[in-house]
Amino acid sequence: MPTMTLTQTLVMGLIQIVAVLVLIFVMVPLLTFAERKVIGYVQVRLGATRTAGGHRGLTGALNRGMWAMGKVPVLSILRGLPVFIADILKLILKEDIIPEKADRAVFTLAPILSVMAAFGVFSAIAFYPGVLFTFPAGFPVVGGLPFMGFISDVNVSLLYIIGLASVGVYGIVLGAWASNSKYPLLGGLRSAAQIVSYEVPLTLSLLVPVVLSGSLNFREMSLRLATGEGMSWLATFPLMAGFLIYTTCGFAETNRTPFDLPEAENELVAGFHTEYSGMKFGFFYLAEYTNMIVVSTFASGFFLGGYHFLPFGLQRFIPATVPFFGQPSLIFFFGKVFFILFTYLWVRATLPRYRYDQLMDVGWKYLIPLTLVNLFVAALIRFAY
Amino acid sequence: MFKNEEMEINLGPQHPSTHGVLRVKLRLDGETVVKCTPIIGYLHRGVEKICENKTFFQGQVWTDRMDYVAAISNNLGWAEGVEKLFGIEVPRRARYIRTMLTEMNRLASHLLWLATHALDIGAMTVFLYTFREREYLLDLFEAFCGARLTTTAFRIGGLREDLPPGFIKQAQAFQGIFLDCLEEYETLLSENRIWKKRTVGVAKISAEDCIALGVTGPVLRAAGVPYDIRKAFPSAAYAEMDFEIPTRPEADTYARYLVRLAEMRQSHRIIQQCIDGLPEGPVMAKIPKILKSEVNEVYHSIEAPKGELGYYFVGEKGGTTPYRMHVRAPSFVNMQALSKMVEGRLLADVIAAIGTLDVVLGEIDR
Amino acid sequence: MRLLKTLIPSDIAAGLALTGKYFGKVFLSANRKKVRAHLKHFTQEYPEIPVRLAPRFRGRLTLLKDEQGEIKCVCCLACEKICPTEVITIEKGKKEGRKMPFPVRYDFEMERCIFCEFCVESCGFDSIILNHQFELATYNREDFSLGMEGDGQNMFVPSPVGKYSVAED
Repeated sequence: MPTMTLTQTLVMGLIQIVAVLVLIFVMVPLLTFAERKVIGYVQVRLGATRTAGGHRGLTGALNRGMWAMGKVPVLSILRGLPVFIADILKLILKEDIIPEKADRAVFTLAPILSVMAAFGVFSAIAFYPGVLFTFPAGFPVVGGLPFMGFISDVNVSLLYIIGLASVGVYGIVLGAWASNSKYPLLGGLRSAAQIVSYEVPLTLSLLVPVVLSGSLNFREMSLRLATGEGMSWLATFPLMAGFLIYTTCGFAETNRTPFDLPEAENELVAGFHTEYSGMKFGFFYLAEYTNMIVVSTFASGFFLGGYHFLPFGLQRFIPATVPFFGQPSLIFFFGKVFFILFTYLWVRATLPRYRYDQLMDVGWKYLIPLTLVNLFVAALIRFAY
Repeated sequence: MFKNEEMEINLGPQHPSTHGVLRVKLRLDGETVVKCTPIIGYLHRGVEKICENKTFFQGQVWTDRMDYVAAISNNLGWAEGVEKLFGIEVPRRARYIRTMLTEMNRLASHLLWLATHALDIGAMTVFLYTFREREYLLDLFEAFCGARLTTTAFRIGGLREDLPPGFIKQAQAFQGIFLDCLEEYETLLSENRIWKKRTVGVAKISAEDCIALGVTGPVLRAAGVPYDIRKAFPSAAYAEMDFEIPTRPEADTYARYLVRLAEMRQSHRIIQQCIDGLPEGPVMAKIPKILKSEVNEVYHSIEAPKGELGYYFVGEKGGTTPYRMHVRAPSFVNMQALSKMVEGRLLADVIAAIGTLDVVLGEIDR
Repeated sequence: MRLLKTLIPSDIAAGLALTGKYFGKVFLSANRKKVRAHLKHFTQEYPEIPVRLAPRFRGRLTLLKDEQGEIKCVCCLACEKICPTEVITIEKGKKEGRKMPFPVRYDFEMERCIFCEFCVESCGFDSIILNHQFELATYNREDFSLGMEGDGQNMFVPSPVGKYSVAED
């Protein structure tokens, strides 16, 4: 790798940051569209179909013709896709109301904090372990330099990620408190208790991959855990258990069903963001969905084999000489991310919601002992091997 | 610096899960409910007073709008109450058809209850699955009387028209799929650990309390009291039907869930018996063109999906309208149990309790 | 045993399997089949797929005419009397060459109508019906006051086809 000048480093970093941001800003609206569609299909409905599926406008002529022929319009799965543009437009154009009795500064700060914590995590996530492509030599400033699949290759990225992710709770608590309203207050309290309790099993379950791989670097961990390099074949079992525990805690961390108590709409109307509107609400929304993506990337990277085809360290059974399936690929990584995101929606459509005290029970009485046992097993395997 | 304060919070009248415009004033200590006061009356239309100014024939349309998810049960209560007042004998075929439609309505009402109850607790998919089956029932109502919700299904002395052609076939089709559908809901809920945690032992109320408060219907039966007006004071064709009264001893939300599911199975049985044993004959008795009452009073109650639905009529000499009409609405009476169920419990249990009581605000406020 | 039951989430898996089954079913069939195929068990795409109404459906009140184009109504006022919400107002009149009374005015205040069909039931001359129109929303309140005159909607349109729906008579 050629050494880079300071300018080149900065510009390269900027390009990568923009790329990741674009990725987030594309994925989150698509995720909301997917949520409508997936939950719709699960519930024997069709989900969003009206945008670009109606009678008027450019698509209208086509649709009318198709309906007249007795057929559902072409590209019918994608009917309603433009709804995500409408979503964004609506959030941006909507009046931004700050309640009179609210604490204005904190009220404004809270969503920013949430969204920053969620975005910051991406700087340490490796989407691909190596060079994605090289800029052509004629390219200004960064010509001839490689474009890596990660923004920064921090050695203790896991620590950084866990530390930053737990800042997100402040956004929720501060926002709830600053609204100076009763329902948000209850939501904020629930959220604080929930995130604090689930942080423990979440971090403990992430220790299993750390112990097994002996690294704290996202990229290295992911590669080692997938190929099972330097690990006993027994390591598959704690990884599987860890995956289940981790996803459960991840659901709780991101406030999704069945742990969506802070915004339990049937009890607290909208929970901590009841008083928010416009793009401030949009930031909370963005943070929540970004967090979902973060949790999915983690589960994908640590437990499901990341860039490799087979999860849980089973990749060792496919020799690296096999074309495509033997090689690390961006497709596998994102395929797994999408699968976990789909699971989020699937679970949301299926399960009821826990009660506040039961949620604490599950966290402290079941998940923490389980993670400790799992960690112990992982350590034993590591020690014995 | 630290002080312990109770917080007062208004649950409703605009709230996603108070099933309409119920307002519950809650005094909370943290999330624990210290005091719970239901406040009603946001949907008051004065149905009873209006009915006193309408003829016996016209009055029925107002009953549709009380418990609007079980309009046919309300129609049955009204029609039979007036028939009792005037001593009218209804033909057997009409009674069978009435029974069948009322049981279908019970299914529709229980399905809606299951849907909203599950949605309150967070299982959102059950909502649309039950609505899918409810659609069959509403189609049947539409085929029979032309409307899906505000049915105005019966007439004093019988029915306006006989069953439309194809009705029995459509009903049989529904009967065929319904039990499988019930099993689907049970797969999603009955054994689900979260559902069980949210319902087992929640919102308990003992049989003594139920009787003292006048609570009837599935809430009472889930407390172990086998009181069902279909058996105790059978009207329509219930005396000729073979069915059981499901009861549970636990008296909690889960027991009520099981009781209502079992009731749906029983209703399914009754509908099947009505279809199989549907007698031939006229559907309308001979009644005078204008009904003029004597000085007389009548109380007639039926088993509505929510409990005992009673109609009280007072007639005056030569009156074409009731002198006084009163409705004993099951939701209204059952609502009293709410405070007893939730005080000392958590906020989330209030939602579960409102759901399990199966209240319809149109009926409470009338 | 209980611990094992707690640890293995078979109940949750059963629920997920059911919803997953429906997801697959709808995903594969919802948008690909012909329109008629997903009646009943799916959400219908309403304006495109017309609603099928039962023959007894109670829609908007309509005045009927006989073969000669004469209004059938003879102003017996039965419908006016029986109407629970008092939405019908009839003014009796005479018309040359007709023995029976002729309605000079037949006003129908649709905004208060509850579509109970009592009027049709009370009519001894079969001169009114409730048609199958249910898309009755309009932008002006005046449009709910129907009468024998009027350009867009009036009481004679036998079964007006709505903006979207196709009535089956």
